[in-house]
This record gives sequence, C-alpha cells and structure tokens, in this order.
Amino acid sequence: MAGGGSLGGGGRSKRGKSSKRKSKKRVGFVLDMTPLVDITFLLLTFFMFTTTMATPQVMEMKVPPEIDVPVEVKESELLSILVDKDGDLFYFRGQGEAEELKMKDLRNLAIKENLNQINRLIIVLKVSDDSEYGTVVQVLDELNLAEAGIVDEMRVKRNQPTFERSRKFTIADLTEDDMAKIATLKPQTGGSQ
Amino acid sequence: MPKVKKKRVGFVIDMTPLVDITFLLLTFFMFTAKFKSEAEAEQKFFIERPLASADTSKLPEQDLAIVKIAFLDSTKKDTSYYYEMTNEDDWKAVKSGVEGLTPEQMQNAQLQVSIETLEALIKRTYIVNSETSMAIDADKSIRFKWVSEAMDVLSKNRFTKFNYVTKKR
Repeated sequence: MAGGGSLGGGGRSKRGKSSKRKSKKRVGFVLDMTPLVDITFLLLTFFMFTTTMATPQVMEMKVPPEIDVPVEVKESELLSILVDKDGDLFYFRGQGEAEELKMKDLRNLAIKENLNQINRLIIVLKVSDDSEYGTVVQVLDELNLAEAGIVDEMRVKRNQPTFERSRKFTIADLTEDDMAKIATLKPQTGGSQ
Repeated sequence: MPKVKKKRVGFVIDMTPLVDITFLLLTFFMFTAKFKSEAEAEQKFFIERPLASADTSKLPEQDLAIVKIAFLDSTKKDTSYYYEMTNEDDWKAVKSGVEGLTPEQMQNAQLQVSIETLEALIKRTYIVNSETSMAIDADKSIRFKWVSEAMDVLSKNRFTKFNYVTKKR
C-alpha cells in the first residue's frame, strides 16, 4: 500500500520539478495533487466502510413500579390481549370469552376499543413465557402505531386541534386460567398432542 | 480541428474540484465515524433484533446500561444474559460494588452473567447513578421468559422505564 503510493508520487513529482526548472519565469505554479488525492481517497474509502450509519433505534417501555397494594379496575375497562407459546393472538374484554385475533387486525381493534372508552381503557398484554420475544415486540409496535390512529380519530370526532391522550397499558404473565380459555380455540394443536 | 490536437501526448486535468469534494466527504465521514466500543469488540454473539416501525427515537449514548440477551451459539439452545455500561467510571464503580466477580471479569467491558448477578449489578447501578437509562437488547427469537425475568429485575430495582433495542422495519 505505502510502496505503491510513494512510487507513483515519486514519478510524478520528478516530472513536475523538471518542468518547473525550465520555465522559471512563470508567476503561477502547478502543484501535483495526485499523491494528495491518492491518500485522501484511501482515507475516504476507509472511513466510508468502517462507519456504521444505522444506529439502532429503541422502543420505550414503561412498567408500573412494584407495589403490594392491588389496584381495583372496572372489568368493562379491561382489554386483555393474549400471546400464547405458538405466537397466536387472542383477546377478551373484562372476564368475557376469548376470541382469536390476527396480527393485522390488532391495530384496528386497539383503535376501536380505545374510542369506545377514551382514556379509560386498560390494555393488558398477557404473554406466555414460551412465546418469542420478536412476536411481543411486534404486538407492542402495533399498539404503538394504534396510538397515532386514536389521536387522529379523536381530533376529528371532537373537532379539536389537540387531544390529551393518557395511555394505560401493562404487561403480565399468561395464567393457567387464560390458557384454559384459549385451549378450546386451538383445536389443531390440542388434537395432535 | 482534431488533427491539430492529436500532436499532444500528455494532458492535464484540473484536480482541484475533485480534491475539494473528496476532502469534504473525508471530513464528513471522519466526524461521523463511530468506532466499535470495547464491549462490542469483546462480543462473540450476534443479536438479530426484532423489527419495529412506530418508535423512531435513537438509542441514547450517555449513561446507558444494556442488558443483552443472546444465544450462546448457533444451535440456539443456550441463552445467557450480558451486561454492559457505556459510562466507564460508573461501570467500574458498579463492578467494584458487586461481590463474586473474578479479576478477569473486572477487566471485561461486557459481562456474561446469571440472573442473580444481573440483579446485583442492576441494583448497584441504581445506587451509583440513578440517571442511567436502561435498554434491553435481545434476540428476536428468544423465549419471552428471559426478557420477562429481566424486566422483573429492572422494575424491582426502580428502573420502571427502559428501552427495547429494535431494528427499523
């Protein structure tokens, strides 16, 4: 690398010097920029390849602090979204019957349910220990995307430029009761075992 | 016209604009370049981050502590926690406050830890610098149990706000 650079630079500079001697009368001078360009390009390519432009982005998560006092909530204000070990989604309101949910319908469900009980609805995400972390992040992402939709809808509905949104959300474990609830909705996996 | 010019053998190109633009790019890349941190250099595993599109905030750089959860090898059988901090002074203080670390571990920028040691480290982190922002960087195909345990440890130790490291979809 260094040998090649000095070789090229040396050859060129000789020619530059000889031409300079011949025409001493000239006012301006010519600087051979080739070695400069060489080394600059080398550095440029080095930095271009070593930089990592894509800094990872983050998704913010807030969990309630650990408190021993149980908080009482209205059943009607509760929407549970379940993620089971196969990554399948289910949901139920309050203590109601569970229903199947597709990932693409999740956003609409979150918007619709929130509009019914604006700023009061509590979404509980119940996740099985054996589900994949990627699926959970996907669910959280859909819920985050729903937030923009909720605010938009409310602005139109109330005809106000701004809308104060307070979000109620928590993440919990999938309990035995929840598993029993969704067991009937999964005939294929239940039958094969 | 072409016949007259044919006599010349060499030719001169004005390189000045080329040098101008190259230097401009060079300085740009030199200033934006961010080199691998010590912890990243030590890292032997690769984390396939989950995809997300809603949140566009960037990972903070100052006073950041990262809990990494990754597979130990390509067979994806064993999983382990890793802990690292960007603030070196804090990191030293945290490590010296936790018992049971080997001299070798004291030197490392990234520690492979059990959940118990992780808890001790996180507890210590809050004492040393309560302003530390926490991040969980986990592989997307990891079982949620691992993340949920890390989250429990964080919330127990008063880090109720933290970040999931994701990749832009």
